[in-house]
Amino acid sequence: MVQYLPILVLLALGVLFAAASFVASGLLAPRKKPSASKLAPYECGIIPTREPPRRFPVRFYLVGMIFVIFDIEIVFLYPWAVDFKQLGTFGLVEVLVFAIVVFITFLYLVANGALDWGPHRRVQVAVADRTVENTVERITARVQVATAPGRVATAQTGGGGGTGGMIASGSEQETATAVSGAADGD
Amino acid sequence: MGDPLYVHGVTLAAFVIMLVKVVVAFAALMLAVMIVIWFERKVISDMQSRIGPNRAGPWGMMQTLADGIKLFFKEDLIPGQANRKVFKLAPYLVIVPAFVAFSIIPIGGIVTVAGHSFELQVADPPIGILLLLAMSSMAVYGVMLAGWGSGSKYPLLGSVRASAQMISYEAVLGITVTSVVLVTGSLSTRAMVASQAASVLDWNVFRLGVVPFLLFFVAITAELNRPPFDLVEAEQELVAGYVTEYSSIRFALFFLAEFMNAITMSAVMVTLFFGGPDGPRFHAVIWLWPILWFVGKTLVFLFIYVWLRAALPRLRYDQLMELGWKVLIPIALGWLLVVGAVVVDRWWGLVVAAGLIGAMALLGRAMAVGRGEAEGEAAALASVDSTGGGDGGPRAGTAGTATVGVAWREGDA
Repeated sequence: MVQYLPILVLLALGVLFAAASFVASGLLAPRKKPSASKLAPYECGIIPTREPPRRFPVRFYLVGMIFVIFDIEIVFLYPWAVDFKQLGTFGLVEVLVFAIVVFITFLYLVANGALDWGPHRRVQVAVADRTVENTVERITARVQVATAPGRVATAQTGGGGGTGGMIASGSEQETATAVSGAADGD
Repeated sequence: MGDPLYVHGVTLAAFVIMLVKVVVAFAALMLAVMIVIWFERKVISDMQSRIGPNRAGPWGMMQTLADGIKLFFKEDLIPGQANRKVFKLAPYLVIVPAFVAFSIIPIGGIVTVAGHSFELQVADPPIGILLLLAMSSMAVYGVMLAGWGSGSKYPLLGSVRASAQMISYEAVLGITVTSVVLVTGSLSTRAMVASQAASVLDWNVFRLGVVPFLLFFVAITAELNRPPFDLVEAEQELVAGYVTEYSSIRFALFFLAEFMNAITMSAVMVTLFFGGPDGPRFHAVIWLWPILWFVGKTLVFLFIYVWLRAALPRLRYDQLMELGWKVLIPIALGWLLVVGAVVVDRWWGLVVAAGLIGAMALLGRAMAVGRGEAEGEAAALASVDSTGGGDGGPRAGTAGTATVGVAWREGDA
C-alpha cells in the first residue's frame, strides 16, 4: 500500500493549491459588488426569459446506459489481459464467447437505431388552417394589395383570409374579403 | 515491481525523497502548463499568420503568467441562480484529478542519490494505468456539476454534451488500453515501459499494429475536448460551454486543468505506445537522457494537438457520436481480440480474424437496418405532408393554402 502514499500526498497538494488560490483570490480581488445584471445567467446580453431546460433528449440517457454495458465489458477484460499468459487458450475462448454476447446486444442496439444521432425530421400533426401564409405576416404583400389588386388576389386569398384572426386585424380581413371577392368575379 | 524507494519501509529519508519528488513533479507540471499554453498560442498564431503574444517577457513567454495574475485580481462572481455548493465544488473535482493522473507517468529511469535508489516517477502503484482511467472518469463529474450548478442554459447544454461525449470515448480508451495491458501482462506503467525497451520495433505502436494507437489518439483527443472534438465549448452556439458562468480564479483553475490534462494524456500516449523515456543514451549524464527523450516525445504530441486545432473543422454532434460508437468501439474490440488470439496461437489469430470479417458484415447489415427504419420514418412523414397539407414548409404550403382558401370562401358565403 505504501506505493499509494505519493498519490495521496499529490492529491492533498492539489486540494491545497486550489484552496490557496481561492484564498489568494479572496484577498487580492476587489470587493464583491453584485448587481442584478451581474448575477443574471449569461445569455449574451439578452434578459433570460426561460428557465434552463430540465428535460433532455432521451438519447443522452440511452448513451449513459449503453456505456454501462461496455464499461462492464472493459471491467471484465482487464483481469483477463493481466493474467492472459496463464489463462492461455481457455481464457481466450472465454473472452471470445463474452465478446460475442456483448456484440449481439450491440448489433441489436444498432439495428434499432439506438445510436442514431442524425438530424431527424419531426413528425407534426398537421393543422389545416395554419399555413405559412397565414402565420407569417407579409408586409410587402399588403402594400401590393393596395397598388395592384388583381394580381396579388389569389395569394392573399389563402394568406389574409383563412386565419380566423390569427395575425390579421379586422381591417385587413376586410381588404382581403374585398380582394378575393374581385378574384371570384374573375 | 513498485518503487524501490520503499524497500526498507517508509523511513525518514524515503519520506523526504518522496516529498521532494511530489513537490518537484507539482512544480514541473505547473511550469509545463505555463509553457504549453504559451507554446499553443505561439504555434497557432504562426499557423494563422499572426504574431501571437509578444509583449510579456522574451517572445511573450510570460504571457500565461500575466494572464494568471490578472485573473487573481478579478471579482469572483457566483451567479444568482447557481447552486452555490456545487458551483464551488466543481473546480476541485476538475483540478485534483488532473494533478493525480500525472503521478503514474514514468519520466525517467531509476536514479540513485546518496544510497537511495528511486524511480523518476511520482508513484508506481500496482493498479497503474487504471488510476488514469479512474481520474479521467472523475473529471466528468467536475464538468457535469460545473454546468449543472451554474443554473444557466449554455453551461448546462455544454455539460450534458460533454458528459455524453466523454463517457462514449472512454469506452474506446478502456479497450485500447486493454490491448497494451495484454502484451505487457501488467497494469504498472513502469512495466509497460520496460517491456518496450528492447528496440524501437518493440514499441507498442508497432508491436500492436498501428491501429490501437490511432484509436487511442482519437479517443484521447475527444476525452480532452480538444479540436476537432471541442463541441463542449463550441463558441458559436454555447459561448464557452460549462465554464461560461465561471470567472476569476475559478475559471483559471478550469483552464489550468484542461492544459494539465493535455500534457498528461500526451505523456500517457508516449508511455503506452512510444516506449516512454526509452531512447539512445550517451555517457555524459546518463540519467538526463531518458528525461529529454520523454519531454521530446511528449512535445511532439502537444504540437500535433495544436496542429489539429489549426487544421480541422469541428465535428457535428451526430458525427461525433457515430464515430465513437459505430466505428471506434467495434474496431477497438475486434483488434483487441485479434491481438489476444495471435499472442495465444497464430491459428487462433486467423480464426478470430475470419470471425471478425463476418462480424463486420453483420454490423454493416445492422446499420443498414437501423438506417432503413429512419428512412421508413421519413417516408411516413412525407405521406403526412402530402395528405394532411400541414406545416411542411414551402413545398407543402401551396396545397394547404388552396384547401384553406376554399374553406374560408365557403364560410363567407
